[in-house]
Amino acid sequence: MMKKQLILALLILTATTIFAQSRFYTRTGKITFSSKAPLEDIEGKNKTVTAVLDATSGAVQFAVQMKGFEFEKQLMQQHFNENYVESDRFPKAEFKGNITNNGDIDYTKDGSYTARIKGKLTIHGVTRDIETTGTIRVDGGKIDASSVFNILCSDYNIRIPAVVKDKVSNSIHISVDCSLEALKG
Amino acid sequence: MMAKNQTRRTVLIIFLLVLAVGGIVGYRMYKEQTPDIVNRKPDRSVTASELIAAFDSDTASASKTYMDKIVEVTGTVRSIDTSGTIVLGEPGTEASVSCGIDRRHMKDFAMVKTGSRAVLQGVCAGYEKASGDDLLASLGTTVQLRSAGVKKKN
Repeated sequence: MMKKQLILALLILTATTIFAQSRFYTRTGKITFSSKAPLEDIEGKNKTVTAVLDATSGAVQFAVQMKGFEFEKQLMQQHFNENYVESDRFPKAEFKGNITNNGDIDYTKDGSYTARIKGKLTIHGVTRDIETTGTIRVDGGKIDASSVFNILCSDYNIRIPAVVKDKVSNSIHISVDCSLEALKG
Repeated sequence: MMAKNQTRRTVLIIFLLVLAVGGIVGYRMYKEQTPDIVNRKPDRSVTASELIAAFDSDTASASKTYMDKIVEVTGTVRSIDTSGTIVLGEPGTEASVSCGIDRRHMKDFAMVKTGSRAVLQGVCAGYEKASGDDLLASLGTTVQLRSAGVKKKN
């Protein structure tokens, strides 16, 4: 009788532990976008990206405040917000998607895994399907998730003024780097 | 004839001067760095809980009060990410203020400790509020600051 109770207690404990660690999050994710062009290289960095990953289902969600991007040059920061992404009208970029090969990733075992990601990316009020790959590194209960991909300004209705059209690149390089922790509760 | 030549010369000199001044002003504007606002006089001074509560109760009014403003925030340090972020949040709640640290303040991490009080200053850049069954809803409300730094040791 005691043995049965002990097994039951252990089972419940294991189940709660797995449940408790099925979600991972960050509020300090980093997203850098850069664009190399004849006129000049543009780079902006956001250090306060929020993201949640559900390890059980493979669902992922990111939210990025456009005004949170920091630039070295004042004029660049101003142009980015006012002329390109119009951050007063469209304050947030968002990604909602899934890791399509979630079964290949063992979140309980340290190691590096390749994740295939598919979902909807919303920037500047335009939502498009995107597909990319990323790396998930499991290390002692923490997860480092990273991905690099390119998007086109024209896909998201981001207009490049005619005067600089030949000098500013339409292709934007995006790099995502997040350290995720287990969500308690 | 002499007078005409002199006028021409004056016009040319003025034109060149304007061009040079315009060039210098333009070049300076182009080269101007984003300002370090950490030690400036803040537009608003609040606790992390007050800032979160403001966005929780009325986002439109909180946006008017805080967005794009220099905000000084006092709160408990929840986590430190030395690659560029300090998160403030009170124990017993998930809601947080996430502060992206200015590139010139990367040494400020040494001034704070997880669990102790700190005063940070940055520009309010947005908020993320729990909505519906979103995955992000499990994080509660997060208010974001950019270009931030630690103001003084507490």
